[in-house]
Amino acid sequence: MDSDKILLDWDALQVGETFEKYEYVLTQDMVDGFREGVMDAEASFPTISHKVDVKQYNKKYTDNGSVNARCAFHCYNAPVPGRKIIVTAWIADKYLRRGKNYIVTEAVSVDETGMLIDRVITHELKQPSEVGKKWEGK
Amino acid sequence: MGREIRTFNIGEEIPTLTKNMTQDAINRFEGSSGESGPSQFTDEETAKGVLGTSGTVASGRMSLTFAIEMLRRYFGPDVYNHRGTVDLRFLRPVRPGDSITFSGVIASVNREANGSRVQIDITATNQKGDTTAVGQGAAVVPNAYLPEE
Repeated sequence: MDSDKILLDWDALQVGETFEKYEYVLTQDMVDGFREGVMDAEASFPTISHKVDVKQYNKKYTDNGSVNARCAFHCYNAPVPGRKIIVTAWIADKYLRRGKNYIVTEAVSVDETGMLIDRVITHELKQPSEVGKKWEGK
Repeated sequence: MGREIRTFNIGEEIPTLTKNMTQDAINRFEGSSGESGPSQFTDEETAKGVLGTSGTVASGRMSLTFAIEMLRRYFGPDVYNHRGTVDLRFLRPVRPGDSITFSGVIASVNREANGSRVQIDITATNQKGDTTAVGQGAAVVPNAYLPEE
């Protein structure tokens, strides 16, 4: 466990908490690797694999891990390799369902020219061991 | 590719998309962000520890990307890459060796100020016939791509 991270207190987590902006340069190698991974030479949104909506959460908080329960993606403009991408992410919601805790993160990406790239919204189950309990052996 | 004028009818099935999952594909997807550490997606021991599964699983974001591909092929990149959305709930793990087929049916077509919003119900099933994800996709098709009323 990283000592500089905060142990998640789900009850205390504030919906609306906005994280420090995250910036990265999308390289052609990243695009190529993504396209190989998804077996689609025309895949236009390699930003998906960067998981930018949870990156800053994971930088700040530590927890028992998570499982992606639901994910939504809005396409605005395909990113251009070589440009810097700036991401703003926040806690959009949290909820308790069937005794399990979920956190909803949301992020919007724009590039260095101000072009809107995409928006991603992810619901993460914060008890990842539920996957093995429910599905192992099936 | 020239602009294609099309109609969209409720109940119409869109072309399916099938993907054969491999650990190599998962590793490439995860590595494409520059992250190289072990995870539940790339390392069996980590998957056992975090998820309690006997092996790795694919990120739901890979399924999300496949659904986007199916919709992009259907609507065309000129439309979908600028006005497309997808929203999936992940119901079962997708593992290396699985063959996942994405299918879609037009659920609604509604006029909006700048075109028609075409919404599609999406289902993903594995080679056993089990549903791995369900959800919706949509695109606002500009008036210029629709027949004159």
